[in-house]
Amino acid sequence: MPKPLVLSLDGHEFSVVITKIDRTKLYGDIEIEAFDEKGNPATLKVLAADGRTLMDKGGTALATLNEDGESVSRADLRPVDEDGEQIEPVLSSFGQVNVLKQSSTDDYLSQVVKSIYVLDPPDGESDLEFLQSHLGAEQIYSFPFSYRGGVEHDSAFVLGDQKNAFMIVGKPAALEFVRLNQAAVLDTPEEAEISADELDFELL
Amino acid sequence: MPVNISNSKNRDAIVAMESLTPKRVVRFVAPDGRSVTTRKLLKTDVEHDLPALLKKRKKLEKLANDLVKSDPELDPNTFGMFLTDTSRVYVTEKGIVHLIQEFEVIKNPDGTERERRPRVKEPQNINAEVPLKWTGKFIKKKDAVSKFVFTGKKQLVHVNGLTFDFLFEMAKTLQKKDSLLLLRGGEKGDKPVVMNRGGRAYNAFLEGRVKGDSYCLIMHLSNMELKRPKEMKSVEH
Repeated sequence: MPKPLVLSLDGHEFSVVITKIDRTKLYGDIEIEAFDEKGNPATLKVLAADGRTLMDKGGTALATLNEDGESVSRADLRPVDEDGEQIEPVLSSFGQVNVLKQSSTDDYLSQVVKSIYVLDPPDGESDLEFLQSHLGAEQIYSFPFSYRGGVEHDSAFVLGDQKNAFMIVGKPAALEFVRLNQAAVLDTPEEAEISADELDFELL
Repeated sequence: MPVNISNSKNRDAIVAMESLTPKRVVRFVAPDGRSVTTRKLLKTDVEHDLPALLKKRKKLEKLANDLVKSDPELDPNTFGMFLTDTSRVYVTEKGIVHLIQEFEVIKNPDGTERERRPRVKEPQNINAEVPLKWTGKFIKKKDAVSKFVFTGKKQLVHVNGLTFDFLFEMAKTLQKKDSLLLLRGGEKGDKPVVMNRGGRAYNAFLEGRVKGDSYCLIMHLSNMELKRPKEMKSVEH
């Protein structure tokens, strides 16, 4: 049985089991198959800049390099905040009581979504009536969430209705209110002069 | 990225659309506190990966013995090569092919095949001759969040003084209504939004926020409802 997550709402503690859902589970999926002119199956691969070296899935790796170009082990890296101060790791949310705080629709809409979960009571336990009655009154709740523990929390928003409860996990987006003098610049294609070579009147 | 959008009075303008990513509050540094960068490297190419090695040796045991004795999976000329400017290509047994035919295989949630059809790549409609349409169809924010999952976000930003007024008014209207506006693309203004040719189609909803003389206009993208999959048992009480 999946490990339950303990939530607390208005002082009332209860356990939930979270099950990840996505578009594929709701609607199915579309796979692309490709064939050449003779009907031979073709697969996508990655071509390096040399025009010769082909790579398949699993053929690449990520390396961390310091300012001198030397490889640094990931285990030796230190997480720091914007001021360069060391960050203390956070624990997994599964090992503690997570207090739900009332949140707003705007805060939820400011989130970049990572994962969506359905919340259910653990097997053999009572239902989620207490939570669902609050969600049915169009309340949104949030708490800091970390699945496995790590350097920072994600934001988890709990919403739904009287029949279903969902947990949407993500991170706040870097939204910016813009003023008149903060106009964006659109990329425009470089203008070039027409050269005589580009025009072939003999084809006309 | 430019986007062509119209307002409630059917006036249109080309404005900028910027991706919205999570705020970065954590970064990783080397033990001495200096910054680090991440680079992509080549591990193995297709001539040295498992299928290629097995093809030459026929038996897994022979390959295992060779791996113990030497490094047949490594090409000393390319192993560890930094990868930049890579491209995706289609490959058959004969090599790279440029003329291919693609088919879409539509699968049910349980993985069974439902349909197979030639792939049609829809063109992008966010920066087309016909602007994205202000449909006039609103949904209250509190209703929208309980119905849809917004898996993507973009921010619309003005490019000059005129488009500042254009977008500021949109944001003000939407904030006042406390609602999201459905945006539609295409000639008849009835199609979902497609960012790139052949890309996924999304239902796009516009949200506006105003703070003093500044605004924030967000395009929320959804291709999923907030609901329980059919095969999952419903909770009843």
